[in-house]
Amino acid sequence: LKVVSRPSPINPIVRSFHSSSLRAATNTVTTPHADPQLKNYKFWNREESTPGQFSYLLDISPESIRKEARIISLSAPDDDANHALHEGVLPMGCHLLGTGSTLQDFDELRNSNQQPNVVFVSPSCPKARVQLPLVLAAFPSIEWIHCRSAGIDFLVSDALAAYKHLPCTNAKGQFSSSLAEYTMMACSYFAKDLPRLMQQKKGKKWEKYEVEELRGKTMGIVGYGDIGRACAKIASVYGMKIIALRRNPSMSEVDPLCDVVYGTGKSSLNKLMSESDFIVCSAPSTVETRGMVNADAFKVVKQNAVFINLGRGPVVDEESLVEALRAGRLRGAALDVFIEEPLPPESEFWDLENVLISPHNMDQTGSFMHEATEFFVNENLPRFVCGEDLLNPVDVEIGY
Amino acid sequence: GILYAMDGSNKKYYNRETSIPFSSDGDIIKEAKILSLGKADDINNEPLYKGQLPEGSRLLAVGLVLEDFDIPALKLQEPNVIFISSSYPREVFLQLLDAFPTIEWMHSRSTGIDHIQSKGLAAAEHVVVTNSKGCYSSTLAEYTLMACAYFAKDLPRLMRQKQHKDWSKYEVLELRGATLGVVGYGDIGRAASKLAKAYGMKVIALRRNPTLSKGCPICDKVYGVDQLNTLMSESDYVLVAAPLTDATRGLIDADAIAHAKKDAVLINVGRGPIIDEDALIDALSNGKLKGAGLDVTTLEPLPTESPLWELDNVLLSPHNMDVTATFLRESTEFFVNENLERFVRGEFLLNQVDKVAGY
Repeated sequence: LKVVSRPSPINPIVRSFHSSSLRAATNTVTTPHADPQLKNYKFWNREESTPGQFSYLLDISPESIRKEARIISLSAPDDDANHALHEGVLPMGCHLLGTGSTLQDFDELRNSNQQPNVVFVSPSCPKARVQLPLVLAAFPSIEWIHCRSAGIDFLVSDALAAYKHLPCTNAKGQFSSSLAEYTMMACSYFAKDLPRLMQQKKGKKWEKYEVEELRGKTMGIVGYGDIGRACAKIASVYGMKIIALRRNPSMSEVDPLCDVVYGTGKSSLNKLMSESDFIVCSAPSTVETRGMVNADAFKVVKQNAVFINLGRGPVVDEESLVEALRAGRLRGAALDVFIEEPLPPESEFWDLENVLISPHNMDQTGSFMHEATEFFVNENLPRFVCGEDLLNPVDVEIGY
Repeated sequence: GILYAMDGSNKKYYNRETSIPFSSDGDIIKEAKILSLGKADDINNEPLYKGQLPEGSRLLAVGLVLEDFDIPALKLQEPNVIFISSSYPREVFLQLLDAFPTIEWMHSRSTGIDHIQSKGLAAAEHVVVTNSKGCYSSTLAEYTLMACAYFAKDLPRLMRQKQHKDWSKYEVLELRGATLGVVGYGDIGRAASKLAKAYGMKVIALRRNPTLSKGCPICDKVYGVDQLNTLMSESDYVLVAAPLTDATRGLIDADAIAHAKKDAVLINVGRGPIIDEDALIDALSNGKLKGAGLDVTTLEPLPTESPLWELDNVLLSPHNMDVTATFLRESTEFFVNENLERFVRGEFLLNQVDKVAGY
């Protein structure tokens, strides 16, 4: 159990878990506030990072180009969210060699003297998990994988883990504020008893009742990454207390938004569950996190807490969630993600009154995937050709 | 004008979130002799009925109608303070003012005083009026952002789809980058703006005295009342947080609504009569407005015949979005702990109301 309460000085912590060169590069600075020029901070946040200014997009000249980018795009054929890449004007030194959804679609390239060195993969690509390692095997010239979405769980496999030596980047920070908005709505949905309002309206019943304030309540964030931080940013202005839980609690030690930071481990999670009025699960789905929020966690949950999941369904043991809802330990749940999507009609969630269900669309704005592609084109492609560090590194072995 | 200070140092008004609790070395220079116009068994008044009052101050009588007060006996004691928590105080209050010319201060447990306001009160120059401004603002701000999100994420659609076990993805709107127009930029308006800014919204504030908000860090533009139509044309979400006065009655009329931006949402936490309800119903029915969040309506309780009940794009609440378990009690605590302590020391009372303007 690692508990870090602010304020405290940064203690040098020996990293005891798997470390790659990527991870070492990201240890030094953990928030964009500390590094507004993104010189050391390696992650992109749509609201806080400065687009373009340090993207080298404007500065690319023949002299600054260290190498060319020859890109292939693995996506669904009609995916117009990739417009900026497939049809747009690319930065100097960048060339799109082809698009396709299977290795066969790139057959012509195999014998070409223009071999790709970058693969851009979208979740729209059917069977991307199978196709990506095949593409990597067929084109050993590829030196960089960029995933258009934030979650890379749809790509992770043993076959892909063999390529862990290749830098892989994603769309972290692109969708966080939308999900933070959803989170606050979900909290208010229960605090102001929106279901009761709708019911009273249906019955034309004018009946005053007490509402709760979010102010003064505790939000516990399981998986304090970019999304968690975006939630904390808004929740703290509401006057909520924030408990954050992440694998590397020391990385959030000086984060002004969290009141307490816990490390992972059963006792940390249980502590968070017992102290939070609103639990926000925003962790990625990895070998470590699968089924993490389980029966034990729900057993110690604070009475009348609200559980919100906007990360990945598999992080939660759905059966114990249902049980906790039926038993009345939880006041309710708001779920944007599920183990199986689309949610099958037999799922018990549909019939539970106190569950707010959304079809994994609470970050689906009209432009969100377009912006994710633009991020690749405007931010990471220029960095690549200029030989700079890429933003948003992920570890394909760990899974996020 | 006095610039708004966010750090609680503003000495004129109280805000539950930012004000520094009262403390003073000043001597008590007079006694408060208090009449309570309200229910004797109202537990929310316990801080007054049973709490510790400043040395020498006391509660003289509690009543709802004139007959509850023993006028001759009380006259001898020279009451100087009236605390109003009654829902229909207008006439009785004037009668009490008449019976006790020694009254110098009236405090309302509510923020709105439209139910107390009268020509007689406006003319009573010797009486200072204070209210509970700043006690409920953050709760109403929370409701405001919930109402915005209700439409932005299309919550009604989620509920419908759930009923039919329908997993259909659809696009949601972001509040980030959208514009919140606040009509009546007082304490509630500011609390809502504070939250809206955290979401990355733009804020346009409208108030009688725009210069008072010049330099306010949480709004992007400040308009005067004559720019209402401009505000309507620029705002994706319009929050009405004004008090009800002669100047604001019917302010949001058919003309203002006609200027609304496409797909605008109107939210009212002030008073129902500020919006022309017929014009509102029209606009909601014909698609001119995307929707409305109404915590207040012209008539309360809302009569069952009102079309508002049946409009799908209306979020209706029974004037309860500030009704927390403790808000009324906290209001009374404010009276006892903040203003009563100031009164007996001859210090400036917080939350003074302009009797003529009505707020």
